[in-house]
Amino acid sequence: MKGCKKCRDRLVEALYGDLDPEQKTFFKNHIASCPSCAAKFKALTETLKTMDKRVRPEPGQDFWNGYWDRLSQRMEEERVGQEESRSWGKAFSRIWSLRARWAFQAVAALALIIAGIFIGRTIFSPPRVAFEVASQASETPPVQPGEGDPVLRARSYVDRSKLVLLALVNYDPKSEDPYGLDLPFQKQVSQELVSQAGDLKSDLKDPSQRRLRELVVDLETILLQIANLESKNDLEAVEFVKQGVENGGLLLKINLNEMGRDLSGGGRRAAAEKSPAQKTNI
Amino acid sequence: MTEEKELIDRLSRGYMSAFRELVEAYKKKMYYFALDMVRDPADAEDISQEVFLKAFRKFKTFKRDAKLSSWLYRIAYNASIDHLRRKSLAPQTVEDETLDVASQGFSDSPPSPDPARTAESRLLSARVEKALQKVSQRERTVFLLRHYNDLMLEEIAETMQISIGSVKSYLFRCLRKLQKELAVPEAPGQMEVSDERL
Repeated sequence: MKGCKKCRDRLVEALYGDLDPEQKTFFKNHIASCPSCAAKFKALTETLKTMDKRVRPEPGQDFWNGYWDRLSQRMEEERVGQEESRSWGKAFSRIWSLRARWAFQAVAALALIIAGIFIGRTIFSPPRVAFEVASQASETPPVQPGEGDPVLRARSYVDRSKLVLLALVNYDPKSEDPYGLDLPFQKQVSQELVSQAGDLKSDLKDPSQRRLRELVVDLETILLQIANLESKNDLEAVEFVKQGVENGGLLLKINLNEMGRDLSGGGRRAAAEKSPAQKTNI
Repeated sequence: MTEEKELIDRLSRGYMSAFRELVEAYKKKMYYFALDMVRDPADAEDISQEVFLKAFRKFKTFKRDAKLSSWLYRIAYNASIDHLRRKSLAPQTVEDETLDVASQGFSDSPPSPDPARTAESRLLSARVEKALQKVSQRERTVFLLRHYNDLMLEEIAETMQISIGSVKSYLFRCLRKLQKELAVPEAPGQMEVSDERL
């Protein structure tokens, strides 16, 4: 029927009396002439009447009388809670600001210390490699008499002897402290070298090793003199040994031996196989 | 309307007496609406108080051209929805809730001189509650606001932040569902259970 859709659209407002006068007139006329819409309207009106039977629990007058007091109490509790949290917040922020200040100072100081250690270790400290090589070399067991290549042992012997002789030759009692020469130490090294000389002489049997053997013998003589020096401050004896070194041309012989060693290509090998005593600046 | 404007003006100035006036004017409406929504008297009071606390704290967000009641209902609606969401983690059965509310309602009412009529009224009320639980949350809210809280369709739209067309649609669908639900005769077994509980 004509107007049913319009009627259905107005049904909700009609049920609650929300229609304006014009709409109300239309609705009444349509309901009067349309049994279908009238039945729907009636059924929904009955439903609403049934829904009116719903009973809400009534809390009672005491509940309403005390409502404001309970609400006020809750407001007060919330206000106190907020103030407490605000004061806690303030205290925390104060601690945080203090903490932040000294924390930043501490962190800055620590950073400076770490940077200083890093710079000191990386720039100003001596290279560790050389130290490690020297310490490793010092840990290697000394060559025992009769062990290893006799030429290499002889070269080590010559090198160590050269150091002893140089220490003695370069010693000047006029310009230097007489106690500057560590004579006991030189005597000790000389004794060790003399003890090795016997084995070396017997091991250097090859004719090509003749010159080296002669040098070992010459050095043994002068080292024996040094080892037999009696007094620490026996300057005359020291001068006597020095003259012996010079007269025998021992340092020259040592240098010639080294030159020959280099020419024969054994210089690098010999340098690599320097004795532990040389590496530790004996 | 002039009184409401005056009240709004005093509320915006932070007068405590104005706030108390607001509470006294709307406490029942807020409580009953919350009760309709959450169906628990203690929760309803809690929600209604929350409405006033929020209104007090955030009155500066209230728009002067809006209706005070719509604004309060909107707060109550949101608070109720939040409450229901939290409570939905441990839901009760529809029957239990319906009967609980029906029995609570009658427990506080004065003793009736006609016990038979009282029992019939209780059953009908429980049936209405049950029918209301069969419709969707939005349909129910629109119906509760219109039928039991007398809000106009425009006010409901403002409260729920939906269009008037949507309000009409929800309301019509709700009425049709309620009609259908109430037309079905109550099963004898369910009646017996209701009698036992009541």
